[in-house]
Amino acid sequence: MRLGVRSTVDRLDAPSAYYHSRNNKRRRNDHGRDGKDGREGDTDMADAKPEEPPEDPLRNATTLYVGNLSFYTTEEQVYELFSKCGEIKRLVMGLDRYQKTPCGFCFVEYYTHQDALDCMKYIGGTKLDERIIRTDLDPGFEEGRQYGRGKSGGQVRDEYRDDFDEGRGGLGRAIQSERMRDSERNRERDTHHEDDYGLR
Amino acid sequence: MADYDRRQPGGGSGSGYNSRKRRYRDDDEYDRRPQRRRYDAPLPVRIRKQLLGLAESPLRRWHEEVQSIAQVIADGHDDQELQTSFLDLVPQMVLEQPLKIPFVAAVVLVVNSLKPEVLDPLLARIASATEDRAKEGEWRDVKLYLKFLACLQSCLEGSGLFPVLDELFNRAVDLQTASSEDTIGTELVKIILLTIPYILAAAPSAESEQKAAELMDKTDIIASEPHALQVLIDPYHTEKGTESPVANSSLIGLLQKQLQNEASNGWPLSCLPRPWRMPLEEIEQQEKLDNAQKHALPTISLPDKVTTGPRPLFPEIYYSVYIHQDVESVPPISNIASSVIRDALLDTINVLHFNRNVTARFLIDADCYFAPGTFIKRATPFDRLRDMDGDRSSWKPEDVAVDAVFSQLFQLPTPEHKLVYYHSVLTEACKIAPAAIAPSLGRAIRYCYQNTHRLDLELSYRFLDWFTHHLSNFGFMWKWTEWVEDVNLPDMHPCKSLILGALDKEIRLSFAQRIKGTLPEPYQALIGPEKEQDTPEFKFNNEHTPFSVEGKELAALLKRKAPDEEIQPVIDRIHSAALDQAIDPLVTSTDVFMTAVCWVGSKSLSHVLACIERTKDRLLDAGAASEAARAQIITAVMNYWSAHPGVAISIIEKLLNYSIVTPGAVIDWALVGDRAGPYGQALSKAWVFELVFHTVVKVTGRLRQVVKGGVTEGVQEEITAMRELFKTMDDALSSWAQGTKDQLMDPMASDGDEDLVKRWGERWLRVFRRRSVIEEAFLNENQAPA
Repeated sequence: MRLGVRSTVDRLDAPSAYYHSRNNKRRRNDHGRDGKDGREGDTDMADAKPEEPPEDPLRNATTLYVGNLSFYTTEEQVYELFSKCGEIKRLVMGLDRYQKTPCGFCFVEYYTHQDALDCMKYIGGTKLDERIIRTDLDPGFEEGRQYGRGKSGGQVRDEYRDDFDEGRGGLGRAIQSERMRDSERNRERDTHHEDDYGLR
Repeated sequence: MADYDRRQPGGGSGSGYNSRKRRYRDDDEYDRRPQRRRYDAPLPVRIRKQLLGLAESPLRRWHEEVQSIAQVIADGHDDQELQTSFLDLVPQMVLEQPLKIPFVAAVVLVVNSLKPEVLDPLLARIASATEDRAKEGEWRDVKLYLKFLACLQSCLEGSGLFPVLDELFNRAVDLQTASSEDTIGTELVKIILLTIPYILAAAPSAESEQKAAELMDKTDIIASEPHALQVLIDPYHTEKGTESPVANSSLIGLLQKQLQNEASNGWPLSCLPRPWRMPLEEIEQQEKLDNAQKHALPTISLPDKVTTGPRPLFPEIYYSVYIHQDVESVPPISNIASSVIRDALLDTINVLHFNRNVTARFLIDADCYFAPGTFIKRATPFDRLRDMDGDRSSWKPEDVAVDAVFSQLFQLPTPEHKLVYYHSVLTEACKIAPAAIAPSLGRAIRYCYQNTHRLDLELSYRFLDWFTHHLSNFGFMWKWTEWVEDVNLPDMHPCKSLILGALDKEIRLSFAQRIKGTLPEPYQALIGPEKEQDTPEFKFNNEHTPFSVEGKELAALLKRKAPDEEIQPVIDRIHSAALDQAIDPLVTSTDVFMTAVCWVGSKSLSHVLACIERTKDRLLDAGAASEAARAQIITAVMNYWSAHPGVAISIIEKLLNYSIVTPGAVIDWALVGDRAGPYGQALSKAWVFELVFHTVVKVTGRLRQVVKGGVTEGVQEEITAMRELFKTMDDALSSWAQGTKDQLMDPMASDGDEDLVKRWGERWLRVFRRRSVIEEAFLNENQAPA
C-alpha cells in the first residue's frame, strides 16, 4: 500500500540526479564518475522526458560512490565506518591516474541492496576523518573507474577548485600549476634584475 | 543569473555608482528589477503543504492553523482533487508524523463542524486501513490509527473507540492464557493503555471515565504481572544480590499505574495537547464543535489469527539515562507524561528512518507538540533547573529527546533499525542545536560510563561504539580530564576497559597521533609508539627470530607473486627444521607463512586480501589440516596486527568468508586459551568481544538467511553447528564465570583480579546465552517441522 506513494518527508536513500541525468543526456561510456561534486550547468537537461527505461540499474544497487574523502583517508578507516551498515564485500579506492595515490573518492560494495540504502541514510553526509563525505548509489564498479578523470590525473573537481583544501592537496591543480609558472617567470625576472645591479 | 545582471535602462547606469543597489535609488522610483514570476500553487498542493507543516512553528497559534486548513477543506468540498488528496494525506500523516496526530485530528474535528459529510469516507478509510495493518501484524500502525481515532472520539457515536479496545483486550487474554511467553498479547495491552489517555483528553466525560476504568480493571492482571521474558531483555546486568534499577519498569506495568494515578486525579493528562479546544475568543467555533454531528465508527474487526508481524515482539522496559538525578529533567516514571511522550518520540524516530534530519528536527522541536508548559524553555542549562519555582515544569525537552534515542540504542535484543541510524540521529540533533543537545549528551555519557559495570555487556559495547563514532563527528572533543583518575585502574576494571576500548576505536576512525593530540597528559601513555606506526614490523626481519631466513624468503616470493611451486620448498625446509627441533612443523610453517602474508599485505586491506586470495589454497589446506594450525593462522594475524586490532578483525572476517578459519576456531582462540590475553584478561578487552560477537552474528545471520530462504538441504547441519558453537562458548565462559578455569586456579596468576574475571565471565555468558535463546526462538517460529 505504501509502495509508490510519495512520503510526507523526503527520503535520503534516493540516488542523486547524477546518474540518471548523465545517462539520459549523452551515452558516453566513460570511466569514473567524479566531476559530480563540482558539476556545474549540468542539471538543466533533467526535464527532457526520456523513453521509459527498461529497468532502473540502481534498483538493486549494492555499490556506493563515496566522495569528498581526504587524500589521506585509508581503506581501514573506510572499513571501520562503513561496516556499521553491513559487511563490506569490496572496497575500491579512487586513485590518481598517474601517481596511483588516493585522490579522494572510493567505491564501497555491500552484499545487499538494503545495506547500501541504509548507508545512504545513515552515513552519507556524516563525517569520516573529519570531513563530511557524500554517498551516492552506483550501478556497480567496473575496471578503470577507480581513476580520476581530471586532466592532471585526480578528480575533475580538484582541477579548478579555488579554495585551499588541505585534505585534498591544497589549491586546485589548475591554479597550482598557474602559480608555479608565475613564480618561475618571476624568478627569471628577478635574476635578471639582480644581474643588472651586479649583485651576482 | 543573466536576468539579474541586466542593467536597468535609465536607472542611472552612468552615474558612477552601482544603480542596482536599492539604497542608491529614490523610494518612489519604479523598481524595474525582474521579479520572480508569481505562481500560485494549486489548492491541493497548498493544503498539503499546510497540513504537513502543522504545529511546526511555535510562533503560529494552533487553533488558527487548524481552523484555516479546515475552512479550505470544507469550502472546497466539491473539489474532487482536493478531497482525494486530503483523504490520502490524513492517514499517511498519521503513520509518518505521529507527533502531529492530535493536530490532524483537530483539523478533522473542525471540518466536521463545518461539513460533516467529509468525515464518513475518512473514517471508513482509517477503519479499513487499521484492519489491514492488524492483519499484517503491523502493530505500530494499528496503534497510530487508533490514537488518531481516539482524538476523534468526540465526534464518534455511542462509546466510540471503546468497543475496539475491548475487542483487542479479549484477544490479548486469549493469547496470554495460551502461553506465558506470548508477546503479542502484551503488545495489544500496550496499545490499549496508550490509546486510553488520548480518548480522555479528546472526550472527557463521566462515561469515558467509566469505560476507561472498566478496561483498566481488566488489563491490570496482564500489565502488573512481570513478563517471563523480562529478565532476558533487562538492560542492566547487576551483580548477584543487587536489584536491577529497572526491575519494576516494565512499560505496561508502569502505564497501568500511571493511568490509575491519572484516573484518581480526574484525568488531568496535562502534557497532552488539545488543539481542538478553542480559546475563549472563539466561543462560536467551540459551540459548533460541541454540537457537531456524530458519526458511527465503521467496524474494525481483528483477524482470526493475530501474527507478530515482520519484527519479533518483546516486552518493553522503560529505560532512562536521566532518571536518577537529584533534579527532575525528564518526567518521572510515576507520571503518565513519561510514557506518552516517549511513545510519540519513539514512533517518530523509528518511522522516519529514511530522513534522519527530519527526525532530529522533530526531536529538537518536541516541545511544539505537547501542551504548553510541559517543558522548560529549550536549552535551559541543567544547573538552572534547581532554581525553578515549585510549580513550573523542570523537564528539559532536549533531555527527553536524547533519552528516547538512548532507549533505542540500549534496546534489547535489538532496536528496530541498525544502531548506526540512532547514532546519526544524535549527530544531526547535535548539529542542529549544539548548545542545547551537547550538554544533555554529556550527562548521558557520564551516566553510561559510571554504570558501565552493571550494564549488559552487549550494551556496554554499543555505548562504546556510539560514543567513539559520535566523537569522530565532532573533532574527537571530549572532557577526558573528568576520568583522569581512572587511567591508573587495572586494565580489567570496567571503566578502564571502556577507556582503552574507546581510544582504540577512535584511532581506527582517525589515526594515533591525532587522537593523542586530544588527550590530557595521563592518557598519553595508553597510546604506545607501536600504535603510531602504520605498518608493523615484520618479526622475521630480525635475525634472531627463528626461521628469519625462511620468513624473509617467503615474503620476497609473495611479493613477486611467485607460483606455489617456488613456495613449497621453503615450507618443506621449515618443516624439516621444525621436526629437528621437535616442534609442530605445520604450526611453525603456518606462522611463518601467514605472518609473511600479513607483512606483504600490510599496505592496505586490499593488498592483504589480494594476497590471501592468491594463497588461499595453501591456507585452506593448512587450516583444514589441524586445529592447531587453524589457531595459528588467527594467532599470526592477531600478533602481527596487535597494535591495530581493528585491522586484524577485518582480516579474520575475510578468512572466515573463505572458510580458511572456522567460527569455532575463532571462539576457541578468543575464549579458551590464553591467546587473547593471560588469566582471563581477554574478557575485558573490547576488541575480543567485538571479534567474538561479529563471528557469532555471522553464523546466526547466515543461518537465518538460509532458513528464511526456505532451503532445507544442509540446514540441519548448520543448526547443529550453531548449537555446538553456543555450547562451546557456554562451557568456556561458565568456567571463567565460576572461577573453575585452570588459569584462575593457578595461585601464581591470580593477584586479586579473580573476582573481576569472574564478573567478566558472567557478563559475557549472559550476552551469548540470550543470543542463543533468541536464535532458538527464531528457529522455532520459522522452521517448518521436519
